[in-house]
Amino acid sequence: MPNPLETVLHHSEPIDPTLWEWLSLKIDDVLGLHSSAMVFILGAVTVLFPVVVMLLVWRRHRITRRD
Amino acid sequence: MFYGWYIIAALFFATFLSIGARQGFGVFVKTWEEDWAVSTAAISFAAAIGTLVNGFSQPVFGWLTDKFGGRPVLLASFFVTGLATAGVATISSVLGLMVLYGFIISFSSGGIGFQTTGVIVARWFEKKRGVAMAVLVSGGSVGGLVFVPFLSYLLIEVGWQAAWIITGLIALLIGIPLLLIVVKSKPDDIGLTIDGVDPNSEEGLHGSADAVGPKFVDKWFDALSSRPIWQLSFGYFVCGITTTSIGVHFVRWANSEDITTGTAALAFGLLSGINAAGVLVVGLLSDRFQRKNLLGGVYLVRGLAFLTLIFLPGDIALWAFAVIGGMSWLATVPLTASLTADVYGVRNLGMLFGLANMSHAFGGALAVFLFGWAFTNWGSYNVPFVVGAITLLAAGVVCLSISEKTNSVRFNRISQSNELDSGSVTAGAS
Repeated sequence: MPNPLETVLHHSEPIDPTLWEWLSLKIDDVLGLHSSAMVFILGAVTVLFPVVVMLLVWRRHRITRRD
Repeated sequence: MFYGWYIIAALFFATFLSIGARQGFGVFVKTWEEDWAVSTAAISFAAAIGTLVNGFSQPVFGWLTDKFGGRPVLLASFFVTGLATAGVATISSVLGLMVLYGFIISFSSGGIGFQTTGVIVARWFEKKRGVAMAVLVSGGSVGGLVFVPFLSYLLIEVGWQAAWIITGLIALLIGIPLLLIVVKSKPDDIGLTIDGVDPNSEEGLHGSADAVGPKFVDKWFDALSSRPIWQLSFGYFVCGITTTSIGVHFVRWANSEDITTGTAALAFGLLSGINAAGVLVVGLLSDRFQRKNLLGGVYLVRGLAFLTLIFLPGDIALWAFAVIGGMSWLATVPLTASLTADVYGVRNLGMLFGLANMSHAFGGALAVFLFGWAFTNWGSYNVPFVVGAITLLAAGVVCLSISEKTNSVRFNRISQSNELDSGSVTAGAS
């Protein structure tokens, strides 16, 4: 009888580390950017979106208050 | 622009961050193995506990959302999750990971799940509920595509401790202010109405806000004596079985068919891309047509994808599954959430959708074990794939048999004064 834990967990959930390693190498190949540049780009996308939403709502509140 | 769309944008970000961070867990496994000198199975055990704890937390947060509104539940969950996420940086053993990730983060992040965010959306939207839910759900797909690579590059650049601290800080310093400023539990909190209709117009006076469906319930357990909640939960249980099992075993299956990990990864990437578009298309269609037909269709299409894995040669099945399966992957979420809201109303939606989510999580956990057991013992995934196809066929038939025109407020609405006004609002839906 195999160890049930090993049976269940061929790898951790939900991203396969082997799969991710291969994907990250491919991304590097295609974009040719240094990992610090990728941190900056992906970080900027992550941070800018909510900041823009907050600014739009703040602008809307200001206009509504003025009206 | 209707204020509800700003709320969708904020909830999109909450879903993006929550699901992206959860999916990014796998990125750190190898590093932890080396740093702590432990096996993959030991780390995975913490993740497996987390999946079950997260499943159990869904009805709890659903109930809290129904009782106190989505905003406080979302804010409290985001705060605890953000703090605990930053705290992962202090862990130095699997036991610590089990406590902080397996229990605390997995439980608190349940409050950022669709049974909380979906309730907020359902309270803001009725006519465009399907597309609004779909945009919300697509936040999870985008989170996987953007935040997982972000975590991976952070790991390379600053190490795993700093990566978790940065993730926690994004939640605390950006996520919390965003939710505080933008999200309101319901439209009348800021003097608006559902769908943004003018309260003084004919529609505002007699329309969406007052609409009551024939199956609307005061207590969540009253819904358990009717068929639709069981039909929807059964479908969602099958959804959990078929998506979670593939998420975990897809690469393993591909390898068993002599397909390289790289090719399998590319196919899974294609599936994710098609899925992101598929969710939005289904969301748009669901505001025009009967949702149960789309939901049944989605399960049947996924069943067809499973059949390709059984009957086609491995290298063709890989791509056929990616294309056909991708069309149906997350499309069940906006349909199930919207249909639950249409049939039972929004008052108890959190608890009811939380129960459906729990059945999804348990179905997934069960399937991951059984698929693995079958492969270990029989050396093939054929039997589990047949079981997957049969359960999907059953889910498709069960969902198609939902009496939407009789039970949904979209087609059969009773005004507050109990005046039957059958099918008057969503004319054109078929």
